[in-house]
Amino acid sequence: MLNLIRNEVTKLLLKKKLILIIGLLIIFITLLSYGQQYTYEKNIDRFENLSGAGTYDWKSLASQRLNDLEKRLDSPYIPADGIASIEIEIKQLRYFIDNDINPITPSAAKFSVDFVEQGISLLIPLIIVILAADLVSGEFSTGTIKVLLTRAVPRWKILLSKLIALLLMTTLVVLIMGLLATLISYLFFGQWGFDEPVATGFRLIDGQLNADAVILVSRFEYTILIYSLTWYVAIVIAALTLLISIIVDNTVSAIGVLMAALIGGQFLQFFLSDWPIVKFFFVTNLDLTRYLTGSYQPIPGMSLNFSIITLGIWGLLALLLGFQIFSRKDVLV
Amino acid sequence: METPVLKVTNLSKTIKKKEIIKDISFQLNKGEVLGFLGPNGAGKSTTLRMLVGLSRPSAGTISICGHGIGDDFVQAMSHVGCIIEGPDLYEYLSGYKNLELLGAMSPQVTRAAIDEAIALVGMEKRIHDKVSIYSMGMKQRIGLAQALIHQPDLLILDEPTNGLDPQGIHEFREIVKSLAKDTGISVLISSHLISEVQLMCDRVRIINQGIIVRDGAVTEMLSTGEIVWVLNNPYHGQKILSEQFQLDARITAQNELIAATDLEILPIINAALISSGLELKTVTTKNTTLEELFLSLTNQKTIQ
Repeated sequence: MLNLIRNEVTKLLLKKKLILIIGLLIIFITLLSYGQQYTYEKNIDRFENLSGAGTYDWKSLASQRLNDLEKRLDSPYIPADGIASIEIEIKQLRYFIDNDINPITPSAAKFSVDFVEQGISLLIPLIIVILAADLVSGEFSTGTIKVLLTRAVPRWKILLSKLIALLLMTTLVVLIMGLLATLISYLFFGQWGFDEPVATGFRLIDGQLNADAVILVSRFEYTILIYSLTWYVAIVIAALTLLISIIVDNTVSAIGVLMAALIGGQFLQFFLSDWPIVKFFFVTNLDLTRYLTGSYQPIPGMSLNFSIITLGIWGLLALLLGFQIFSRKDVLV
Repeated sequence: METPVLKVTNLSKTIKKKEIIKDISFQLNKGEVLGFLGPNGAGKSTTLRMLVGLSRPSAGTISICGHGIGDDFVQAMSHVGCIIEGPDLYEYLSGYKNLELLGAMSPQVTRAAIDEAIALVGMEKRIHDKVSIYSMGMKQRIGLAQALIHQPDLLILDEPTNGLDPQGIHEFREIVKSLAKDTGISVLISSHLISEVQLMCDRVRIINQGIIVRDGAVTEMLSTGEIVWVLNNPYHGQKILSEQFQLDARITAQNELIAATDLEILPIINAALISSGLELKTVTTKNTTLEELFLSLTNQKTIQ
């Protein structure tokens, strides 16, 4: 089995897909970091011109806000559930003032999170599709599937080795994505920002944002959390791509089907968000990271747990079906 | 009795309600080279695909060295090497890497076995080049090496010389022939090329529209049991044959005298012809060509 997995990884690596994907990521990340740096500088400029003060003194503004909040906390009239969120804001402001960091300064940690938050519903799935779409269909197009399936190895083992190789490569791609986003954006921003405190754990209860369960974590922990969710989404997409790749046995059509599903799914979400069944479609559930920031609920009844479970079911069903079809398929190429 | 290398019993295959293979049975013994001859669309490829587990029979059983392909796929396939419709190789890898990947799929394949297979097909010099720059002939050699690295007992070749030039066909044929002779491997070759089957195979099965229409040794099939005499006066010869041996002989446009007779009394006939003063130039057995036989058996005008 280990041999089979090694074979599949070798094939994936030698197809030079990874280089293509890394190339794409470098281009996107460089453009986006440059753009963010540019906007940031523009904003600072505008602020300085407006205030006429010549320099943009964020520190005194932040200290002022901090004083306000502390005073409010002393007030006896403040409702109990407001205290938690005020305390969190105080902690965050203290961090920025103590470390002499402007809260709106872009940092590598922030960028690496922003990047996957933006990419999780389209760019990242597409990258995984590039990686996986020809995994089985490619072997059909070149006829090499015949060589593979006429060895003394049962079919399910062939597919399992492909799946494991794909999961390894998907994990690698997500890691590379994180590293590239962090390193390239650091070149532009010159700030890591990994120990900055971030508030997370907002919940939506009856349409109201609820901050009871909010906790402060470091940017580093938050980044790990976001990338874990991204990895999960990537794995589900990989499983679905594998299924399509088995059914369609033609790489171009496989990519077409998946792109149509991804883009069509976004349309569904836009136009048919009243229709409850849309929330069970996998594309609608891809935006896992947005639940963390609080008020996100594309369709009533959806939550982080709901989306994770829905995606998990899609992934598992895709694998079950994929194995069934693959082990019964008549190879007539 | 020794277990046959390949035993096919009552095999049928229906694809989309069309019966492609209709209840065929045959077997292949150790060391035998069997040709599977038939026009395009006769069901050769479909049968071979079922033999190597690429396609599932609708009915019937296939067993390889005693292992049923349905219930003991892994054991059965460990005895088989095959090329199904052309050599299928990873173009982005070198020939060697291709063999290495496939070798890793069978536990018994060693580096030495790979090198041996490469030497056998004569690809030592170009083995580390990428497959994408190989010629068709070179790909076919790697394809053959790929089928042989795990030292199978049965080699299944589907249209192996398609796309090869005459030189390539000749070389390929020589490799397969010497393989069968030296290693005792059984070979099943499908082809629509009569000459190929005639030159490579001991036995041949002619298949048409999903059934085996003829089965036998190549030499047997071709022999008509007739003798051809070339004489200076065939009409005199004809008279002698009918008067002394009660043989009904005919004379062709080339003035050849032809009659069906037993080989045992041939020396007596020849002696009688010579003693009657005729000049006997040649005596040969008349063979039909496999081509004639093939055409008469597979004569079909419409595609059903």
